[in-house]
Amino acid sequence: MRPTTLLRLALAGTRTDTARVVLTALSALLAALAGLTALTVLAIEKPAGDAWAQSEQYRNALLREPGLRGGTAFALLMLMIPVLALAGQCARLGAPARDRRLAALRLAGATPGQVTRLVVLETGVAALLGTLVGLGVYLVGRDLLHRPDAQGRLALPTDVLPSTGALAGVVLGLPVVAALATVLMLRTVTTSPLGVTRKAARERGPGPWAGLLIGFGVASFAVIRPVVNSIDDDGGLTWLVPLLFAVGALAAMIGVVIGTGWLSYHCGRLLRRHARGPAALLAAGRLMADPWAGSRTFAALLAALIFGGGAAAQRAYFGAKDQLEREQNRVAGLDGGTNPFYLSTMDYVDGAIAVAILIATGGLIVALVEGIVARRRAYAALVATGVPRATLSRSVAWQALAPAVPAILLALTVGTLLGRGLAAAEVSAGGGSAMICEATAALCADPATSAQYNRIVHIPEVQRAVPVPLEHLAWLGAGALAAVLVTIGVGLLFLRVSTALDELRTT
Amino acid sequence: MGGVSTPHVLLGLLAGGSRHGYELKRAHDERLPRARPLAFGQVYATLGRLERDGLVASAGQDRVGGPDRTAYALTDQGRDALDQWLSTVEAPMPYVASTLFAKVVVALLVADVDRARSYLVAQRAAHTARLRELTTVKGDPAATLSDVVAADFAIAHLDADLRWLHATLGRVADWHREVHP
Amino acid sequence: MTQLQARGVVRAYGPTPALRGVTLEVAEGEIVAVTGPSGCGKSTLLHCLAGILRPDVGEVTWRGHRIDTWSEAARSRLRRTEFGVLFQFGQLVAELTAAENVALPLLLAGTGRREARTAALTWLERFGVAEVADVRPGEMSGGQQQRCATARALVTEPRVLFADEPTGALDTLAGEQVLTQLVRLAREQRTAVVLVTHEPRIAAYADREIVLRDGLVDHTGLGLDVPLAGGAR
Repeated sequence: MRPTTLLRLALAGTRTDTARVVLTALSALLAALAGLTALTVLAIEKPAGDAWAQSEQYRNALLREPGLRGGTAFALLMLMIPVLALAGQCARLGAPARDRRLAALRLAGATPGQVTRLVVLETGVAALLGTLVGLGVYLVGRDLLHRPDAQGRLALPTDVLPSTGALAGVVLGLPVVAALATVLMLRTVTTSPLGVTRKAARERGPGPWAGLLIGFGVASFAVIRPVVNSIDDDGGLTWLVPLLFAVGALAAMIGVVIGTGWLSYHCGRLLRRHARGPAALLAAGRLMADPWAGSRTFAALLAALIFGGGAAAQRAYFGAKDQLEREQNRVAGLDGGTNPFYLSTMDYVDGAIAVAILIATGGLIVALVEGIVARRRAYAALVATGVPRATLSRSVAWQALAPAVPAILLALTVGTLLGRGLAAAEVSAGGGSAMICEATAALCADPATSAQYNRIVHIPEVQRAVPVPLEHLAWLGAGALAAVLVTIGVGLLFLRVSTALDELRTT
Repeated sequence: MGGVSTPHVLLGLLAGGSRHGYELKRAHDERLPRARPLAFGQVYATLGRLERDGLVASAGQDRVGGPDRTAYALTDQGRDALDQWLSTVEAPMPYVASTLFAKVVVALLVADVDRARSYLVAQRAAHTARLRELTTVKGDPAATLSDVVAADFAIAHLDADLRWLHATLGRVADWHREVHP
Repeated sequence: MTQLQARGVVRAYGPTPALRGVTLEVAEGEIVAVTGPSGCGKSTLLHCLAGILRPDVGEVTWRGHRIDTWSEAARSRLRRTEFGVLFQFGQLVAELTAAENVALPLLLAGTGRREARTAALTWLERFGVAEVADVRPGEMSGGQQQRCATARALVTEPRVLFADEPTGALDTLAGEQVLTQLVRLAREQRTAVVLVTHEPRIAAYADREIVLRDGLVDHTGLGLDVPLAGGAR
């Protein structure tokens, strides 16, 4: 096939295909930005000195302290997860129509390789455009944001640049990954020119083995602290901590996403058995026929919620510690808490989670709308037989909400468990004594008079359980639910268009 | 419909055992419900020829008297002839020999497009009416499978004719130009 | 008695006219075939009669009420209660079993689940597909699917059944079985049928045939006014 033919065929799509290409490019852009900023943080050079020497050119402790930079970079990389999930959902946009078109090309005599090249071209080029624009945004941005303050300190690490290799890795690597993922998703089409045939529906729902993955994730987080404590002795297990963290987080996340399939299926079964009315019946049928639709739809949102839950647990820990220390200080006659650093860092983390939930909502909308548009003929046929649109709307809402509510609860619970596994279940402070002076500042300041007012107070060691941050979790849950409701609202708008009876003419 | 081989049908009806002439006629009309009914005279004439050729033989008479009481049976030679007939495939429409077709051609030759068209329209109406009649026969709950299969045969042919009539109505003007250049 | 009537119905898709002024009547319990070549406007006429599409010009009346001016919701209700709709294929909900599909219109009408299922099973039985009651459409043959769809269209005992090439996707025998059952049951409950088809042999099941050509009624196949050559055939 000539390159021009290839290009012509790759561009033969509809508006949906254009939307998919634009969204693919956009998610590649976001992912590139997240990756590039993470690399920049990692590119900060450790200044000469001992292990605790700080990079004094930055205002923010997250960048100054070498011990924290790894975590900062990790958090930025974690932002790529919802972005990649969004990319995955965008890739499914209009996929059935594209698959049919590709199958038609195969029937017309195109080889599997030619069809694959076509798709690789589409996704790869779109993603490359996205990462290139991302690189541009990054380069321009670091120039614009390079504003040293009066002390010559910087808000962001705009003075360092990752190595050329690392930059190229992000800009070229992401499109390659995107193209490979698309090829993987397309293997059913490329192997058979008849396109995707309906498989016999499963009679049994997904197994409950998601629970094992979640358990494994929670367990590996729970052993991180003992491992860290034992490092103090010999230092031989240092490599285990990031491994436990990454594997545990991944296992819990996959577990929750798979668990959503299980939840969808069983919600469907309950609905089918007990619910009245056709809307619930339609929703139940869909939930049971494709329980993984829920997993695909909610994956990014759930990932963000797990992190949110974990962060809430961490904040509860720092909050409890702060409060306890404040109380202790008051006993000792001092005002204020300890280092506000951790709590303010948690603000950054919460901000990142809010962004992640926002991106995930975007993915949610794309996935739900895709699902509605893909079955528009079936919807139009139902409307033709007199099924009211309100019934269809209710069935769409049921279908989204029934698995979403338990899945959100599950994700928050798992996140909280992970967070609480990582932090101690209780905080302790005190266990010492302090000298306080019970007089006016002037009297205390004079060494002659202070002695008679000085008193040594003993501060007892206090231990206090870290509370479960129910309120914080409730807000997260409410936010996620709001995201789902907004998504349903947008979906219903598309349902109106999709049930236009002109759809009956298009087979 | 082209020549039905009555001798072979009679041989086939005798394959189950010997029968009198009038029994043969009854069996014929029952098994081939939509065929042109067989006249008694035709049955005896055919049986006479078959006997002459040695394909059937008289298997005794019930009573002395009329020929209608003579029972006939299949001879070995007759069984061979029947067997051979059954194993030969009918030539699939060797000639387009249909009055319907010929009438349109003649209408185009001697008259104009309108004449041919009006004939086609009338014929289409007749075909449609007959098709509906046969469909009703088939839908009757009392219809036997013999009735249904026979009606199906006619329906399929009428359906084919009707398609031809529809298509030809669309082509008749061009066809006329070809006939009268 | 005329139940359903179309007067001067015009309907276009963009600049392409599909119907250019069609007038027809359907009496109670009457089976009417609408035939004609591809693109003559058959399906569009059916959609207009069933209240699925609104004509651009002209009117459609049901028992004396003009329905083309009704709201979508009101026409939906009419389709759900008085009409049944049957397409060539693909109208069953893929995720629901045959029995659930057939029960759907009853559930929409507010019938209880148990009662709706019983009725659905009776109708599946009538169409000889009781054995697939708990099977999803994807696992049925085309003939079984179409019988389920027909059962669904008739389960509410509609006054008019609109069938658009109902046997188009089936082989001759399967199509004939579906149609024979459909016609028999429609006659039993005095349901009028508007049958869109391009096949003469399918149209022959109707009491009356309306032939469309280029968006207009070409002729109606009623009776016979020419002598037959050679008497009986």
